[in-house]
Amino acid sequence: MKTLVLGVIGADVHAVGNKILEHAFTEAGYKVVNLGVMVSQDEFIKAAIETNADAIMVSSLYGQGELDCQGMREKCIEAGIGDIPLFCGGNLVVGKHDFAETEKIFKDMGFNYVYAPGTMPDVTIADLRKELGE
Amino acid sequence: MSDTLHKMSMDEFRRQREEVLASWPTGKDVDFQEAVDYHKSLPDSKVFSKKLEMARKEKITLIQPRAGVPLIDKHIELMQFLEKEGHADLLPTTIDSYTRHNLYHDCEKGIQESIAQGKDMLNGFPAVNHGVANCRRVTESVSVPMQIRHGTPDARLLTEIAYAGGFTSYEGGGISYNVPYAKDRTIDETIRYWKYTDRLTGLYEEAGVQIDREPYGPLTGTLVPPCISHAVAVMEALLAAEQGVKHISVGYGQCGNLYQDIGAIYALEEVTREYLDRFGFTDVSISTVFHQWMGGFPQDEAQAFAVISWGAATAVLAGATKVIVKSPHEAFGIPTKEANAAGLRATKQLANMLSCQTMHNGPRAMAEKHMILAETRAILDKTLELGGNDFEKAAVAAFAAGVIDVPFSPSKYNRGAVLPARDNEGAIRFLSFGNLPFNDDIKGTHIAKLEERAKFEKRPASFQMVIDDVYAISEGKLVGRPKKQ
Repeated sequence: MKTLVLGVIGADVHAVGNKILEHAFTEAGYKVVNLGVMVSQDEFIKAAIETNADAIMVSSLYGQGELDCQGMREKCIEAGIGDIPLFCGGNLVVGKHDFAETEKIFKDMGFNYVYAPGTMPDVTIADLRKELGE
Repeated sequence: MSDTLHKMSMDEFRRQREEVLASWPTGKDVDFQEAVDYHKSLPDSKVFSKKLEMARKEKITLIQPRAGVPLIDKHIELMQFLEKEGHADLLPTTIDSYTRHNLYHDCEKGIQESIAQGKDMLNGFPAVNHGVANCRRVTESVSVPMQIRHGTPDARLLTEIAYAGGFTSYEGGGISYNVPYAKDRTIDETIRYWKYTDRLTGLYEEAGVQIDREPYGPLTGTLVPPCISHAVAVMEALLAAEQGVKHISVGYGQCGNLYQDIGAIYALEEVTREYLDRFGFTDVSISTVFHQWMGGFPQDEAQAFAVISWGAATAVLAGATKVIVKSPHEAFGIPTKEANAAGLRATKQLANMLSCQTMHNGPRAMAEKHMILAETRAILDKTLELGGNDFEKAAVAAFAAGVIDVPFSPSKYNRGAVLPARDNEGAIRFLSFGNLPFNDDIKGTHIAKLEERAKFEKRPASFQMVIDDVYAISEGKLVGRPKKQ
């Protein structure tokens, strides 16, 4: 069984989608380590190391995701899990923007998969199957 | 009388105040007496509670947006735009999420990056970092009263700066700004912080300055049954009144079924009055706040306008004192000023068209009202019993026992055993009661309503139904019907 570390990054407290993602990923057959809301980069990485996770799933719904996600890939490299797939999604930046622009910002930061507002869990689950095999 | 028993002592207030004002450099610019004089120099048209009183007398519904950006000049431009182009009757200043968690150093970085990158890197206005004089620049830049809206578990410094900065209304409370907004803050801790905010409000009132206090109604904004948010609103109204608050606005987030929403607003005013009077707070004024749909929105702007307009119509038909307005960009987060003003104009159109109509005598709305009143009283009476009429103790004990339990809360001090789901007509009922103190009569009604839906949909009432309901409005429906296979 593959393990996912899941959480909402930064000072964000949006809990509803997080509970639904936990449910959907669990139903899809993953072991979900759900850190809940208000999770720091360090907490994500520490949990990923401790649980030998296969991917880190970052949500951000409140617009400050860009500040919160800066340097996360570098921190993963420092911690010795530089190759771990990083997924992120939600309302990642302040306001309504061309998604291609947002996607580029987060891919440049080292996120492998970046999702637009309103993406349903099955889209991410299909990508997880592709990324993690099975 | 309970209001003399648990009022914060001046010694305790002064001790905390010294510490609070020293916690960030802008705190030193707060001078209570100077701020009182400043407020007394304001015209009535800038005083929130006076405008609400006028609306209650004239039986109209005022409109208010949410809005806040990180930089002062841009925030002033936004406020003026919403007043002029959105015809907002009341204006907000929405505070960013770092301030909400007292991370003022992070705010500083967000302000600097917003300047450097030429775009908003914070999701609101960092009022503490900007300080008293800049807040006054904001409140003086428009002609309508202004309110701080946030989500701050420990808002003591923000309150000091906001009041000294000329804001005449302040949202939040020790429960409503904890349970939806924090993960590991005890109820006891945040009620103590908010006791300071309420006592400060009381001190302004005692000095002859009116400040409206608004418990945050919608809580997690996701399928919260009316009796849960009403019980929290009443507890916070009692906690505030005990500290000398005189003007209270109680809020409620739209559910989407017209009868339930109208019944809920009537029940909210009635039950708040009932419990305030019971404890002798008969001189406290009550306004009602209706929040347009707080859950997920459709991405399509025309569909979003439909959701906004339905909320606007319901607010006015329910006779709410004010309505908090959404924007057609809601699905993407924070709107542009143009989108924000568009939501306001749509709402204003309905406020004007429907102001001569009311539905408070409708039998179905009144049936919902009586049901909500019975449920809310059951929760409140058990809560007060647990605390022996000590409101703080009661609220803490009620959360520990699951007597008050908010669905979808991130807080570990909320039991989280309650699950809501819509019935076949879209009203929000209970799928799981958790430990709510309901009798068999109340429970039976909810069970029957959900059985009716389950039968119609040919599937059992389950968590999948709840998930379908969470997404339903953003997918263009009210009730989350099963997907066709």
